[in-house]
Amino acid sequence: MGTWVRDTLTPAQPRVDLREITIMQPTITRRHLLGTSLGLAAASVLTACGSGTPGEPAPTGSAPASDGATEAAAAVTIQFWHRTFTPVENDWYTGIIKQFNEAQTAVKVVGTEVPADAWDQKMKAAQAAGKAPDVYTHPGSIQDAVTAGQLHELDSVVPAEALAEIIDAAKPVSEKDGKYYAYPLLLEPQGVLFWNKDMMEAAGLDPEKGPKTWDELFGMCEKIKPTLQKGQYCISPAQDAVTFAWSSVGQQYNFAGHTALKDDWTGAAVEDPGYEALIAVYKKLWDNDYMPKQPLAAYVEGKDFGEKKVAFKISGSWMLSEIGSDYPDLLMKTGIGALPNSPDAGDRTATTLGNFKWVIDAKAKDPQAAGDFLSWAIAGDPALLVPFFVTTQFTKVPVRDSVQKAVASDEKAAKAPWVKVITDEIAPTAIPEPSYPWDVSVAVGTAIEAGMKGASPIPAALATATKSIQTVVDREGLAAKAPK
Amino acid sequence: MTSSTAERSPSRRAGRQRHDTFRYRDGKVAYLLILPVMILLGIFVLWPAVYAGYLSFQNWSFYKDPEFVGWKNFTDVLKDPLFYATIRRGFMFVLMTVPVMLVLAFLFSSLVVSVSGRFAGVLKVSIYIPTIISTVITSIVFVLIYDYSGGLLNWVLAYFSIDPVAWIGDPAWALLAIAVPAIWLGMGLTSLIMVAAMVDIPQEFYEAAAMEGANWWQKTLYITLPQMKNIILYLLITGFVAAIQQYELPLVMTGGGPLDSTTLPNLFIFNHFRNDVNVGYSIAAALLLFVVLGTVSAVVFRILNSEKLVD
Repeated sequence: MGTWVRDTLTPAQPRVDLREITIMQPTITRRHLLGTSLGLAAASVLTACGSGTPGEPAPTGSAPASDGATEAAAAVTIQFWHRTFTPVENDWYTGIIKQFNEAQTAVKVVGTEVPADAWDQKMKAAQAAGKAPDVYTHPGSIQDAVTAGQLHELDSVVPAEALAEIIDAAKPVSEKDGKYYAYPLLLEPQGVLFWNKDMMEAAGLDPEKGPKTWDELFGMCEKIKPTLQKGQYCISPAQDAVTFAWSSVGQQYNFAGHTALKDDWTGAAVEDPGYEALIAVYKKLWDNDYMPKQPLAAYVEGKDFGEKKVAFKISGSWMLSEIGSDYPDLLMKTGIGALPNSPDAGDRTATTLGNFKWVIDAKAKDPQAAGDFLSWAIAGDPALLVPFFVTTQFTKVPVRDSVQKAVASDEKAAKAPWVKVITDEIAPTAIPEPSYPWDVSVAVGTAIEAGMKGASPIPAALATATKSIQTVVDREGLAAKAPK
Repeated sequence: MTSSTAERSPSRRAGRQRHDTFRYRDGKVAYLLILPVMILLGIFVLWPAVYAGYLSFQNWSFYKDPEFVGWKNFTDVLKDPLFYATIRRGFMFVLMTVPVMLVLAFLFSSLVVSVSGRFAGVLKVSIYIPTIISTVITSIVFVLIYDYSGGLLNWVLAYFSIDPVAWIGDPAWALLAIAVPAIWLGMGLTSLIMVAAMVDIPQEFYEAAAMEGANWWQKTLYITLPQMKNIILYLLITGFVAAIQQYELPLVMTGGGPLDSTTLPNLFIFNHFRNDVNVGYSIAAALLLFVVLGTVSAVVFRILNSEKLVD
């Protein structure tokens, strides 16, 4: 609810598009998770195997050769759209386009930074007019886009060895039916708990130790509450249906051991004690005024945390890069940990692993030129990607072993204590975003908001969600689309 | 035979008279004059409407050829409880805005026509200012006013020891919270149209009524309102259509939340258009909304029959 408002009101603030992490992605197997785990572990351990020189343009490799003839013939122009993120990310995007254009002359890339909240309508309008960009960034699942024929396959335009480098954990978001349609840039946990160490200390709590369970969190909030001034709150979690829709999927798994649909996708699986318990913890945050009654900042933003209006903030791992960029004094005073667990969660995670990819439009006029740019920028020299992961404070996980090693070898990695928490403790067990339609997630998000705010009793809210989900199941014929 | 000829002859005469009426009109010039508008309407309204009708029976995603799916898009919409909820909410929003706006505009116009020329000018300019402010700017201003922890409204309420209210965060208040700026935005034009209509009412009516000893209420009830019937009908229809189609305010202020409490019909369609891979559902929903709007407009016309004023 507040995202549009906040985005509109705070144009200078870094923004992460809510929708960028809303669209769902397919199921990852245990093998994939193991792959991620090993990859991440390798990234954090192998610090002496860096390659390349950060910032230096790599040899053109698969980029078109630059010779007199092509120069004379003028470049093929490629339109590239990317979303507005934190300043450091925006700078990286601008820089990589500039470097590519300087490195060769056959292909000219024109970059357009699109405000995150305008992305969907701008893209739809461009697609309707047949003017979609050749290359653009893409979050979430590719299933629907591939089915709709929106994406150009990459196998014919990106070198096979570059595609082979994609780690297993990122394959479900880039590959469908044996063909690649997207080249991933990063993976990132979508639900992480941050805390202000100073505020914890002021309440007589151990600033280094975050809550492991919701009961511990409630206990901490009870101690923190008397120390707060007017306008300050204990915690800023998600609090609207749309944000809950995507950000709570990991927590649904944590509380219920499954997500919103039955395994065979014939109906909802939300009328369940786990889902009731999940909503109940949010209701407790709401009823006890541990959280504000209206968002102080969007879930994806760290503004409220940066301005010390809250002691705890639930957001994605990316929030730390915003803190580093906009509130540097707070960076080392920020604690980070996994989201609190349900009492019977066992070793189940409470977060999903979001992703970001680059794709080539199916109607790209020169798919090979588009593929050359993509290959050069994110599938080529790891050194080109290192600044991206370093300046975003190591809060995102590279999807190629070579890049993971290069990033881990950066000297700043050792000085970022949260790297270990994100890469070793949170990311390895995180589940992928579900691949079922967005409307299913919205139905659950609506139930959580309704139950939390007391707009309807929790069982009634879940019964409504079940009906809404059934409508989607019938409308989309989901039973036939269930993952085998 | 005779009787039938006698029966037919008046109609023939009437037909001839009608023919005579049009004899001296220059039909060709008239057609030429409306040609540009017809061409523009054809390109930007008629053809898109026909094409939308065609696409509403297809599955279409901009990347693949449309695939015929029959009535599926329409049945999907009609089976969707959220669509009905959004239409109901649209009517609720109309009820919250249009009557209030008409009453306020009427009172304001009555004030304007009763004060001196210079003061009337100041009043007219003041009331019209919101109309020229963009809806997006208005939305942002009202979001600042409604802000939970630093907003003007809650700051004022705090002086009366009233706890802050989540105006746009609480489903109970949110629709009302966006109705207020909608009224504020619509008041200007509505008031000016009413002022124009009031000025047009012959002063003799009021003089005659005054001689009979009629008071303000009686003059309003028996002269002003009946004389403004067509204008009120116009404002009712346009106000209804504008209110039920409102989407910028909820889009910017609340994004349709909390709990869909501000998802008005157009925002519902827009969200589907923005999020769905195929556009069939959005088009079918838009056409069904068109049917709803057309039906209600027709009913309003039927009830408040438009007629020529007897001067």
